[in-house]
Amino acid sequence: MNTKFNERRKFLKQTAAGATAAVTASTFPLSAFSANKQLTVGMNVPLTGDLAPWGLPGLYGCEIIADRVNSAGGVEIGGTTYDINIASYDHGYDTEKALQGIKKLVLEDDAKMVMMLGGATVGAILPWATRKKVLTTTLLPSDITPDSEYLVATCESHPLYNVTGVVWLAENFPEAKTAAIVTNNDAEYGLQSAATYKAAFEVAGIEVIDTNLHGFDVTDFAPIVSSVLAKKPDIFCMATSFYVTPIMEQLYHQGYEGKIISCTLDYYQEIIAKTSVDFVNGTIFQFPDFDDPMLMNEGISFPDPAGFDAAFRKDHPNDWSAVAWEYPVILMNWLENAQAVGSVESVDVAPAMLANKQQFVFGGGDWWGSQLWGLDNTLIGRWPVVVVTDGKARIQEYGDVAGWLAQNNDVLIKHMKEMGLRTV
Amino acid sequence: MELLLQTVVNGVIQSGFYALAAVGLVLIFGVMKIVNFAHGELVMAGAYTIWLLHAQWGIPYLPTVLIAVLFVTCIGLTMERFLFRPMAKDVLGGLICSIGVLFVLQVAATLVGGEGPSKQVPPPFEGTLVLFEVLRIPYQRLFSIAVAIATLALLWYFLTRSKAGWALRAVSQDRDAAALQGINSNRISMLAIGVGAAMAGLAGALMAPLTNINPHMGHNVIITAFIVTIVGGVGSLTGAIIASVLYALFHTFITTYFSGTLATIFGLIIMVLVLIVRPTGIMGHRTSE
Repeated sequence: MNTKFNERRKFLKQTAAGATAAVTASTFPLSAFSANKQLTVGMNVPLTGDLAPWGLPGLYGCEIIADRVNSAGGVEIGGTTYDINIASYDHGYDTEKALQGIKKLVLEDDAKMVMMLGGATVGAILPWATRKKVLTTTLLPSDITPDSEYLVATCESHPLYNVTGVVWLAENFPEAKTAAIVTNNDAEYGLQSAATYKAAFEVAGIEVIDTNLHGFDVTDFAPIVSSVLAKKPDIFCMATSFYVTPIMEQLYHQGYEGKIISCTLDYYQEIIAKTSVDFVNGTIFQFPDFDDPMLMNEGISFPDPAGFDAAFRKDHPNDWSAVAWEYPVILMNWLENAQAVGSVESVDVAPAMLANKQQFVFGGGDWWGSQLWGLDNTLIGRWPVVVVTDGKARIQEYGDVAGWLAQNNDVLIKHMKEMGLRTV
Repeated sequence: MELLLQTVVNGVIQSGFYALAAVGLVLIFGVMKIVNFAHGELVMAGAYTIWLLHAQWGIPYLPTVLIAVLFVTCIGLTMERFLFRPMAKDVLGGLICSIGVLFVLQVAATLVGGEGPSKQVPPPFEGTLVLFEVLRIPYQRLFSIAVAIATLALLWYFLTRSKAGWALRAVSQDRDAAALQGINSNRISMLAIGVGAAMAGLAGALMAPLTNINPHMGHNVIITAFIVTIVGGVGSLTGAIIASVLYALFHTFITTYFSGTLATIFGLIIMVLVLIVRPTGIMGHRTSE
């Protein structure tokens, strides 16, 4: 464990040093002149199409981390120093292209690990990736099956972290006793999230008085919001984020004055522009900006989050979304594990990382999931509860996902089953 | 009662967008006998113009609405001159060309706006009109429905009171007979697609501050426009407007009192039923070979 701890410190030190070097030498890519070997990491994600906001910002974020590491002289793994190369494949959330993408990344680009968004595209690649023993990551742990040994969720454990927002809301606004949930009706994002919110509300003693599921073809949210508000919920919950902006706009125009909780609030400045600061203030969600002072707290392992935030927004001012930091976290976690085991090969890294205690980016870190999906391949830890304050997303506290699950696992499984979702 | 009134208002406002989109589609089909699959993308082009000129470059909203209408009209005229006219004898060719334009416009939008999140346009008309302390109508929506109604009224006046409008209706009813009366069908085709594209551009410009703007937003628009066109009667402008109001109210009521998913499913079922039971739609006429 000591060796692993030292490796971890070494990695973080290198990364932090890289951040400084990257700023001073940002006019040209140092890796272009490097003699280091190339270590390719794959991103098989949607970079175009409707789901591009959950792929493209992640690629930008990983490129920043790769630049940091390369600027610091690379990363040493098993006695070899590597420069990191991020190879991406745009599958546009098409399952056939996703399979083509992982084959291209692994067989042609020699990617040692492949990061994916999750959902149907992971389902499409899973048989091949498992058979070929390719370490693959997902943001949706519900993709994990009892035999998917090489599939891990090491950052976003969608939607388990949503319980922390409900716990915080119940503690701080005990007068809120009823909730309505609005979400997409897909099994991958919407229903998983709705079931989790239902479980969290039940545990918190909050009655769910309406669950409004809608398709992806909605162009006008006025009738949906009118319908939900007619039931007069104390809490309006958006379980997934595809249509947060138009829903928030309708809540504003239809005069909603209760509490709003949402899984994500991507591009919340645009929501403010369409409504008002006063209206959006107080909205609870789960994904911080990385210039948040609370990210400097002890136990947060993301190196120089504010510098990362600034670098990202400098080059991509309008593209920050929840995944902007998530794929980088996955990348850094994998590098750390590869350093610890001294190998970049999936057959070495995957079993070792799953066998060892991990440090989650926001603190804590336990492998979990066999109760629900058949394997303990989901890394859960503390997760931030974020509230819009004076027009800015600010972390209020770090909630304990593992603790909640330990106590209320049966409630979650009950609601997953009630919504017809796969459980073991 | 409060919910019922709000639902009626929501439905009526939505019908304005449906009507603008569907009327353009009907005009183009009526005159040119081409199912313009790129019609949803013309709406998208209108919305993107507003996003670029108003939200990004800061040009005031009303002039950008005019620019969006003119820009999309130009796209329509270009399609007619260089794609549909050469394919006039080949119905399938015209349809395939329109699908090609669909993809070209989607890619062009991506090049202009980039990938990433849907584009948002802050509403130029802020605030909400509150009536009797129960009905709430955003001023932006109020503006949109007023413009839609005025535009449809102008179109009706044009079609029924002007020579060009009569000629357009004549070509729509019988192209050969109209030609025998000295009506230049090419010119009328350009007029039809120009007016139809302008309507689509206006629909996009009005929708822009109210919806997520992305290169694929035309998909939902064209499905709704097809439903409305078929239910109203293919080729019938009056039918398209009546069907727009009925479908918008139907969809809004089902969404409000049951679910949005059921509303879409029932909308498509109604379209299929109309095709089976009354293929001519509400206002269409059976034509003999």
